[in-house]
Amino acid sequence: MTGLAVDDAAWASAWRRRSPADKLLLCGGLVVCALALPAWPGSVLVGVTAVVLALGPARVPARTFGRAVRWPLAFIAVGALTSVVTVGTGGLGWAPDAVARAGSLTGHALAGSAAVLLLATTTPMSDLLPALRGLRVPAAVVEVAAVTYRLLFVLLASLHTIREAQTVRMGYSTWRRSYRSSGALAAAVLTRSWDRARRMQEGLAGRGMETGLRVLPEVLPSSRAFLAASAAGLAAIVAVGVAAA
Amino acid sequence: MHIAEGFLPVTHAVGWTLAAAPFVVHGARQVVVEVRERPENTLLLGAAGAFTFVLSAVKLPSFTGSSSHPTGTGAGAVLFRPPVMALLGTIVLLFQALLLAHGGLTTLGANAFAMAVVGPWAGYGAYRLTRRLGGGLLPGVFAAMAVADLATYVTTAGQLALALPDAETGVAGALVKFLSVFALTQVPLAVGEGLLGVLLFRVLTVNARPELERLGLLRPEPEEVP
Repeated sequence: MTGLAVDDAAWASAWRRRSPADKLLLCGGLVVCALALPAWPGSVLVGVTAVVLALGPARVPARTFGRAVRWPLAFIAVGALTSVVTVGTGGLGWAPDAVARAGSLTGHALAGSAAVLLLATTTPMSDLLPALRGLRVPAAVVEVAAVTYRLLFVLLASLHTIREAQTVRMGYSTWRRSYRSSGALAAAVLTRSWDRARRMQEGLAGRGMETGLRVLPEVLPSSRAFLAASAAGLAAIVAVGVAAA
Repeated sequence: MHIAEGFLPVTHAVGWTLAAAPFVVHGARQVVVEVRERPENTLLLGAAGAFTFVLSAVKLPSFTGSSSHPTGTGAGAVLFRPPVMALLGTIVLLFQALLLAHGGLTTLGANAFAMAVVGPWAGYGAYRLTRRLGGGLLPGVFAAMAVADLATYVTTAGQLALALPDAETGVAGALVKFLSVFALTQVPLAVGEGLLGVLLFRVLTVNARPELERLGLLRPEPEEVP
């Protein structure tokens, strides 16, 4: 357990051993379809496909998927509602095509979010980061991102431990104490991150680190059947979406 | 406040990605040079990125009764400078999209422009201005964190207004709508984040003074003559 439900789901997913490139192709295709095809039926097909694949073959827990969707859902609901309210000389009112516009916006956003979540809940970041090298991202940047990924769980654990200790000492009992505790919490996490980075650097320097943090990448072979099924599925979604437009 | 996946049309998503790219590439080049000259700083930069991510998990009590989460880009801009924050902020946004479902991949460019470029630069500008006008470290940090948060929110509202203009009053009307709706959470958050910054740096000046001196935020204390 890492403390982040989406990351936990990715490590436990039935698609964990699948090639990250294969999953990137499928989910990237779904994201593009969600954005480019008309909301009906394109976005609906993309959303249903992403949810069915996540809860079915990838075996992502429905609770995790549902809880993760709540965050973008709040933004989408507020944003879509705001976009269809008009501000005119007569005060507030509804845009002439309010239902269609809000539906289209919500459809595109929910389908896209589901497609990104399919990737997130089936592929740990440590599998995706080496793929950035293929996109010609400098090795130093990928290394910094990899260290960030590894350290953030350590810092999150520190954050939860310190917050728990503060809570049982009534650190969040009043508004004023809450702010004081939050400031001390942030400072403790920052100094711990510096301390941990310094100790790791000293440890690695003792082992002769001169050319960066090289590790053996895990080889996850590509599946032709998966790629063929992904291409066929995406082609079918595009065909239905374009035909109905 | 991150724009969700699929919320922006294709042209806007591409346009904001192109707008953010020079700043992120510039930040990446600085990081590459830094890591080439001092490989050990890879770990410190990674720690800075992890801290920025974790700071967004700190709950702040909001004036409106709920709780909200700081962006941390103002503190990052003061500690690590805006060019580095352009890259670290983008990495953090990518992680937030893939680990927390906050934001998205096609909206990464737009979110990076608001939170990793405009926010840190505006916050750092406010910090420098406050210090130049004679303000101390803590007023400077308050200004940096509050202004970075406000600048991020105003930029995001502008991005949404451009993408979703009002049916009657166009982009201007839409901007007023989005600024008004998100002001309910974002303005109290900006003040709250400024206060958090003051409390954070007040602790750091006591517990981590050598680090702040090394980063150039505090002048070294004169050594006592025995």
